Amino acid sequence: MLLGVDVGGTFTDAAVAWEGGIATAKAPTTPGDQSEGVIAAVTAALAAAGGGETSDVETFAHGMTVATNALLEGDAARTALVATEGFTDVVELGRQARADLYRLCAAHPPPLAPPDLRVAAPERTGPDGVLRALGADGADAVASRLAELEPEAVAVVLLHSYRHPEHERELGEAIAQRLPGVHVSLSHEVVGTFREYERAATTEIDAALSPLLSRYLRRLVERAAQAGLPEPSIMQSSGGLAAVGHAAGHAALTVLSGPAGGAAGAAYAAAAAGVPDVLGLDMGGTSCDVCVVDDGRVAETSERTIAGRTLALPSLDIHTVGAGGGSVAWRDAGGALRVGPRSAGAQPGPAGYGRGGTEPTVTDANLVLGYLPAGEELAGGVTLDLEAAESAVGALASELGLEPLECAAGIVRVAGTEMAQALRVITVERGVDPRDYALMPFGGAGPMHAAAIAEELGMRRIVCPRASGVLSALGLVVSERRRDAQRSVLLTGGDLTADAIATVTGELGDRARSELGDDAAELRCVYELRYAGQAFELAVTAGESPSPDGLRGAFGAAHEERFGFREDGGEVELVTVRVAAVAPGPDVDLANAGAEAPGETRRPARFGGSEHDTRILRGELPPGLALEGPLVWEGPEATLVVPPGWRGEVHATGAVLLERDEAAGG
Amino acid sequence: MALDPIDLQVILGALRATCEEMGAVLVRSAHSANIKERRDASTALFDARGEMVMQAEHIPVHLGAMPAAVAAVLGENHAPGRSWVLNDPYAGGTHLPDITVVTPVFAPAADAEPELLAFAASRAHHADVGGRVPGSMPADSTTLEEEGVVISARILDEAAIEDLASRMRQPGQRRADLRAQLAANRAGAARVQALAQRTGADGLREAFGEVLDYAERRTRACIGELDDGTREAVDVLEAAEGDLELRVAATVDGDELRLDFSGSAAQHGGNLNCPLAVTRSAAYFAVRVLTDPDIPPSAGAYRPIEVLAPEGSLLNARAPAAVAGGNVETSSRVADLILAAFGRALGQGTMNNLTLGNERFTYYETLGGGQGACPDADGPSAVHVAMSNTLNTPAEALELEFPLRVVEHSVRRGSGGAGRYRGGDGMVREVEALADMTYSLITERRRHRPPGADGGLPGAAGRNLIDGEELEPKATGTLAAGQRLRIETPGGGGHGEP
Repeated sequence: MLLGVDVGGTFTDAAVAWEGGIATAKAPTTPGDQSEGVIAAVTAALAAAGGGETSDVETFAHGMTVATNALLEGDAARTALVATEGFTDVVELGRQARADLYRLCAAHPPPLAPPDLRVAAPERTGPDGVLRALGADGADAVASRLAELEPEAVAVVLLHSYRHPEHERELGEAIAQRLPGVHVSLSHEVVGTFREYERAATTEIDAALSPLLSRYLRRLVERAAQAGLPEPSIMQSSGGLAAVGHAAGHAALTVLSGPAGGAAGAAYAAAAAGVPDVLGLDMGGTSCDVCVVDDGRVAETSERTIAGRTLALPSLDIHTVGAGGGSVAWRDAGGALRVGPRSAGAQPGPAGYGRGGTEPTVTDANLVLGYLPAGEELAGGVTLDLEAAESAVGALASELGLEPLECAAGIVRVAGTEMAQALRVITVERGVDPRDYALMPFGGAGPMHAAAIAEELGMRRIVCPRASGVLSALGLVVSERRRDAQRSVLLTGGDLTADAIATVTGELGDRARSELGDDAAELRCVYELRYAGQAFELAVTAGESPSPDGLRGAFGAAHEERFGFREDGGEVELVTVRVAAVAPGPDVDLANAGAEAPGETRRPARFGGSEHDTRILRGELPPGLALEGPLVWEGPEATLVVPPGWRGEVHATGAVLLERDEAAGG
Repeated sequence: MALDPIDLQVILGALRATCEEMGAVLVRSAHSANIKERRDASTALFDARGEMVMQAEHIPVHLGAMPAAVAAVLGENHAPGRSWVLNDPYAGGTHLPDITVVTPVFAPAADAEPELLAFAASRAHHADVGGRVPGSMPADSTTLEEEGVVISARILDEAAIEDLASRMRQPGQRRADLRAQLAANRAGAARVQALAQRTGADGLREAFGEVLDYAERRTRACIGELDDGTREAVDVLEAAEGDLELRVAATVDGDELRLDFSGSAAQHGGNLNCPLAVTRSAAYFAVRVLTDPDIPPSAGAYRPIEVLAPEGSLLNARAPAAVAGGNVETSSRVADLILAAFGRALGQGTMNNLTLGNERFTYYETLGGGQGACPDADGPSAVHVAMSNTLNTPAEALELEFPLRVVEHSVRRGSGGAGRYRGGDGMVREVEALADMTYSLITERRRHRPPGADGGLPGAAGRNLIDGEELEPKATGTLAAGQRLRIETPGGGGHGEP
């Protein structure tokens, strides 16, 4: 059996896959110690799998939000920063842009190493080498100063260390000797790319979160061992799994661990359903994550911000908007109906959860419109209270001068427009047309809104995966193992030779493979290039020893595709080389031969301003089943709403494939 | 109200998305580093009467200046497929590098007389528009002609692109940037046409009207919360020939606001002059800070605000006065005046413009400093405070590319004014020249400190030094190899008694 467990804000999801079946289950997330909820979810999933034993579990993949939450809450270790003399404020200075154009005192999150924990290293390295030697005395002086400060973790960031790492290494050794047991992150090792602020901010995150993350992972390993489970591997922001020991030492790699599992699951399910180009839409209670999947692989980025902090490491390119099932609807001072960004959260949650919430949310609107079942228990143990939802929506409706049902439809429409705009921006910025993609909704709330969003964007196809509510857990099960290594090399002109490139990829590849523990792992090489003088790079994929002209040509083509032109004769600079060593994940048969005929009822639901007597299907759907809107499918963890004008059938993998009728216009 | 609260929010979202999409197309297809990397560009939609219904602004200085560009071409003979281009600061523009392209949008009607629905407009800071010096931002210009090619509104076709590009540096880049602006406008036009197909031309017109009224209602609601009465403020610009005084009388009358700059200095022989459009932009920026930044930027939001500046003054200069510095420095002081009138502590009030170069390279950077404290929060340190918000150049990138070494880049501790809430600290940037080069500095708040408010103390004044010797706020000269130029940017004022 293969096991995946994903910890979300409200629920912890588990999926187990074995030959001939997949079973899933949910348990409440336990914020104090996420590992408790993990074990509870595993127990439930094994029970759902017909009484599997923990000893049957061969692999255990884990996605979590421990590092993310710590960043959001500023819950960091006592962290010191060592930087080149004159540059100890590097993280505080950032790139000098203010956080908000008009809210003048909106602040960037404070650096994780406060001013009194910043130590100047008496050294200077320039682009061409050492200008002022650190020396043993210099390294000792820094270590002594650090010892007085009693840090739990230390980040070391010296200028130009991406190219000349010697001084960082000397400091690393001196600190290890003087302060044994203190976590040390060296910027050339953690990041390895140029631009001092981005490298420093990332190294600081790595140092500040690693002690906390390693404590959590140690508890998890113990609990797993007690339960008879194998050692977990940990999802990284890159969408690949890392050994638990490696993840524990480098918290910066797992900051996007949670959403990465969902995106990886979406890519896998899309490819399995024969639709490799999709836009993923993961909508949960508080937010919505969108991503682009091309040819079965999630688009990646080499830099992003999380909670206002910069992270310069490879990660899946996931864009988040603050619209989820719990987003609160309100009337603004100009009289418009607004949805979010404030969320009712898990407590009290939507009014319809009956936990004392009184504000109307997106979930309440869905309940009022008949898309969610009143009075019945949802996955996760919530029973929906229609009256409470109606009263919350009704109060807003009278404030706006609308009929309650109109208002409910309006909340759903406004929320859908926000998500559609997020998708439009991520596609337009990439120069692709959303109409060339199918929409893949998942997460508890995604499938309810998919059709409306697709219509807004002129998209004609929807792929709703089976187990769409726990796709992240499934994504973990099937994910590849991966280790990344990267370095800025800044090669141009006569220095950009085939030998120079092959030497770098060789070194990075050896390092990545050895850290992955697989000498034969496939290597994926990404080359980030620019025209000399540009301040940003474009990534090009090529083999391990590409020719300089090959890279130049591929870069020109990428530049033309992304920006509409190429500079013929422009000097091309190879800025950074990134190598990932990858061992493929297991293949899982998504087909669900055991699905029986679904339960079927009818209830009124509203579409396009009028009430329809709507077919409601419940439970797993058998492959080949034809579907036609209006229809609502209440799957095990999520609800799919199929409005009139959409039709399709259930794919062999259990995914629902829908297409919009040509006559429906648009 | 003809639109219900749902349709209103949906159309607002659609218009915002359209402007953002135009911006994405522009940034994606432009060549100038200013546009691609610093996003010094804005896009907007106007109704058929020339009222701005939505704008996607990446930098505040474009905020209120776009409507003048559309007004400048409103009376022209419009036809499908025709676009207009201009940059004349005295007829729709701001300063010469900002070139605006305006495209009328027609209903896609095959038979009848095509009906004008809207205008799509894009403004972008081109890296060069000709004139005496590369970059078209001379520190010491005295006439507009010296600053580059002046474009009065004209049709932008292939011949015009060739003609304009041939009179500027890097003509290939100019052609590409102008075509990128056309592409952005076309993307906007296509979205507006798709919208009109859903709503009908009349429906769209009504929706535009509703969107303007909505922004107006929200602005009036905010102004209505301010106390009635007139507040005044006086401040100065540190010109080479001496201080130039600027003043504002800001009057709140019910839900309307009048900003009267009468009494400000006359236009001068240097380039700190502002066309009225720049003064308006800075005024709208300050009002946005003082009210609700969430109000959609549209002509409706500005209806309750009157901006008065006497013709021939520094803040409403007459042609052909030079304007290169007005856009970058005077605009900051205009925003300061209004914020001060409303009792706010002020930020560094300058962009600290530094240009270094010799026959082999030119390098331009602006530096952040201290933000003024707010009535309820400390001012952030070492950030751009007002009309700009562009990124710095990393020391590692600088040293790889230019004969420069960064000696220090740090927070200038203690430079923020004390107060119940502290002003933000300025920044220290010290560079050593590794070859002989010239320097040019356009900076402010060197003689006068950024004031605090409500008993808060002023921030420290900025300083520019070569090897420890202090320079004037505006200075040009030679930096020999081995010499060090140190810039200490001003701190922000504090708020409330310490």
